[in-house]
Amino acid sequence: MVQYIGKRLLAAIPVLWGVATLVFLAIRLVPGDPAEVILAQSGGSSASLAQLRTQLGLDGPLYVQYVRFLSDALRGDLGRSIFTNRPVIQTISEQLPHTVQLALAAMVIAIVLGGVLGSIAALKSGSWIDTLCMILAVIGVSTPVFWSALLLILLFTTTLHWLPATGQGDLRHLIMPALVLGLASSGTIARLVRSSLLEVLNQEYIVVARSKGLSESRVVLRHALRNALIPTVTVIGLQFGFLLGGAVVTETVFSRQGMGRLIVDAILWKDFPLIQGIVLLSAALYTLVNLVVDVSYAFLDPRIRHE
Amino acid sequence: MQFKNTVVPMIAISVLLLSLTACPAQPAVIPTSTTPAAPTQGGKLIYGLTLVPSGIDPHVNASSELGIPLTSVYDTLVYQTTDGDFVPGLATEWEISDNGLVYTFHLRRDVTFHDGTPFNAEAVKFNLNRIADPETKSQKAVLMLGPYDHCDVVDEYTVKVFFREPYAPFLDSLSQVYLGMASPTAVQKWGADYQMHQVGTGPFMFKEYVPKDHLTLVRNPNYNWAPSIFTHQGPAYLDEIEFRFFADPATRALALESSEAHVIGEIPPQDAARLAKNPSFRIVPVPIPGQPLQAFLNTAKFPTDDLRVRQALLYATNRQAIVQTIFREYSPVAWGPLSAVTWGYDDSVVGMYDYDPDKARTLLDEAGWQDTNGDGIREKDGQPLAVMAYLMSWGYIPEVATMLQAQWREVGVDFRSEQVAYPAALEAARLGKHNLIMFNLAGSDPDLLRGFFRSDANFNWAKINDPQLDALLDEGARVRDSDKRQTIYADIQARIMDQALIIPIRDYVNLNGMSIAVQGLIYNPQGWFPWLYEVWLAGTGE
Repeated sequence: MVQYIGKRLLAAIPVLWGVATLVFLAIRLVPGDPAEVILAQSGGSSASLAQLRTQLGLDGPLYVQYVRFLSDALRGDLGRSIFTNRPVIQTISEQLPHTVQLALAAMVIAIVLGGVLGSIAALKSGSWIDTLCMILAVIGVSTPVFWSALLLILLFTTTLHWLPATGQGDLRHLIMPALVLGLASSGTIARLVRSSLLEVLNQEYIVVARSKGLSESRVVLRHALRNALIPTVTVIGLQFGFLLGGAVVTETVFSRQGMGRLIVDAILWKDFPLIQGIVLLSAALYTLVNLVVDVSYAFLDPRIRHE
Repeated sequence: MQFKNTVVPMIAISVLLLSLTACPAQPAVIPTSTTPAAPTQGGKLIYGLTLVPSGIDPHVNASSELGIPLTSVYDTLVYQTTDGDFVPGLATEWEISDNGLVYTFHLRRDVTFHDGTPFNAEAVKFNLNRIADPETKSQKAVLMLGPYDHCDVVDEYTVKVFFREPYAPFLDSLSQVYLGMASPTAVQKWGADYQMHQVGTGPFMFKEYVPKDHLTLVRNPNYNWAPSIFTHQGPAYLDEIEFRFFADPATRALALESSEAHVIGEIPPQDAARLAKNPSFRIVPVPIPGQPLQAFLNTAKFPTDDLRVRQALLYATNRQAIVQTIFREYSPVAWGPLSAVTWGYDDSVVGMYDYDPDKARTLLDEAGWQDTNGDGIREKDGQPLAVMAYLMSWGYIPEVATMLQAQWREVGVDFRSEQVAYPAALEAARLGKHNLIMFNLAGSDPDLLRGFFRSDANFNWAKINDPQLDALLDEGARVRDSDKRQTIYADIQARIMDQALIIPIRDYVNLNGMSIAVQGLIYNPQGWFPWLYEVWLAGTGE
């Protein structure tokens, strides 16, 4: 097992190097120059663009910049943001928890709502209740996040004065953003739960369970739903990525801190070190998570062995 | 790569990260009672900012947004009145040598920084040298300092500032927060992290900045050196000011209505029109000096290289309709390269190129452009009359472009456009790929034109190479006599418009929405920056 983990860690090195190289090149291929963006904010009559480029370390040939970036990154230094002049690692560590908090809360809402809707639809398959649930699911999937966000603010803040519209802090600040984001995701989950539950309900072991005289709730909860959840859980994992992406809009509308705005602003303003840092850290995190998942298979399912 | 079951470890990591978060916040309370006559002491003002400034050290960073909170943290050596005169700030008086190269400042003797460091000539020298030091990587302040050479401490409260060549905008620069006086002790103590721990001499002290969330200032209890532009002395009225960020324009009016902020700038015009009808709020439009929103016409690229085509585009532009439709009459029509509230603005540009589609058609006819194939677009030598615009996505530029497209089609011009990210638009303009690019920049001194119309300027987007204009722009930066200077800038504005280098659209107006509880709020001559020293909240009862 230790040998396996070691091998996988070694394999992660070329992956990260590839990601670092790709992102380094990709952001420099897009037209635009951060030094020019800075100067345009101040008119920059007497300053020469070249001087500012030198100050920002954007002057040398591409390979020199590349080597400098890689060697700094190897030493754990992702540099400082061009625009804020604050360390990239510090900036990310300030914003990441807020997005994770939002995505997690949205995930919970999506799972509960999607699970309930999907199960009801499957159990009442073919009836008007099924149709209603699926219509709700389609509405959830297709409603733009910014629109439902503004509607919720109008209702809960402007009209009812129940919830704060913007900022962050206690749980009340989290309800609307999480709801907006969760609703969008719950539709997908509901449709998936419905189809996989329907499939399971037709299996022979369900017939056996029923013929044993088990109560319907026990049949559904213990035998059907548990098995139906396996494909759903995989999709929920994928949805987590969607939620992180959806956080961009949600964070903007609700004036929340988070990674969403950070990455979008970094790209729009061509803040090279920040973009590189965010992409590289995400890739590292993802690689690590995958490794943990693969290793955990061996513990979860005794039939799997990593030799 | 395996995707299965990633959710379990991700949740585990997330829970870990979640436990690290802690974000306290209190909802704002907006009173709506009637206005008492005398200022009330105390209370907390919530001030909404419209974008998160990229960095907030005024000596280093260039954002306009940073000046909104930090104008209350820093005092400046001089202050500029709304009439454009300079009055004593931390400097009680000053002399300028006849050759314009040496400024001598006599300083107040009773001023201390928030951290207890005394304010004196050494502090002034430290600040100016910090800005000029390449290590500081100043993005704006160093440009405002112009041809600064060095600083001499004459005695504890007298300092001489030397320039390599005369620099007329210096007092204007000195009156802005970018050249505000920071505590040398704090700057040295915090180094690169100074922006999170700023220390000035102003009426409010920097308490806390959580990027993308809030920035809090508290009253400076020792403040007793307010400049004469204010009506009282001693500490400010408010206990505390919390600045919060409202990046999405659609939520700004909602945030005011739900009492989450007392004041927010850049309210979208349609929301402003709605808020103005609500007796609990008022809309305060503040005209911003500098450039109006304008379209630079590329004189080096076909077909805008022809003066008649450029003039025709100006005549074909119905600015009144644009101002009415998009800006709901909150913005005045712009006529020249400087907005009407800018020092040096010359009103002889008013009425130049007033909307006259027939004149536009005549000019295009004269230039040889005819619609020969009946598609509504003119041609010459088989080429259609098409102009290419690169559009940035802010400042209602895409909306204005849509109207221009319709208006110009009326006279047979095909307006083509591409909406691109800000850096890409700047690059396209630098490379001269555009016929037209829209932009505006705030600034209280007309010298900002030099960065856009001098032949070697970084942002010479009209691609103009006019030695006479170059000479005028250089002279404008040197001459100190204000009458002479005014004449020079009048010539410059006329010259720019005679050659039809730009299409001015609208003067920039910041639409500030505020609760009627907010009293005593005025904006400095730059327009963006509020003076919060005399603000108080009516009916707080605190």
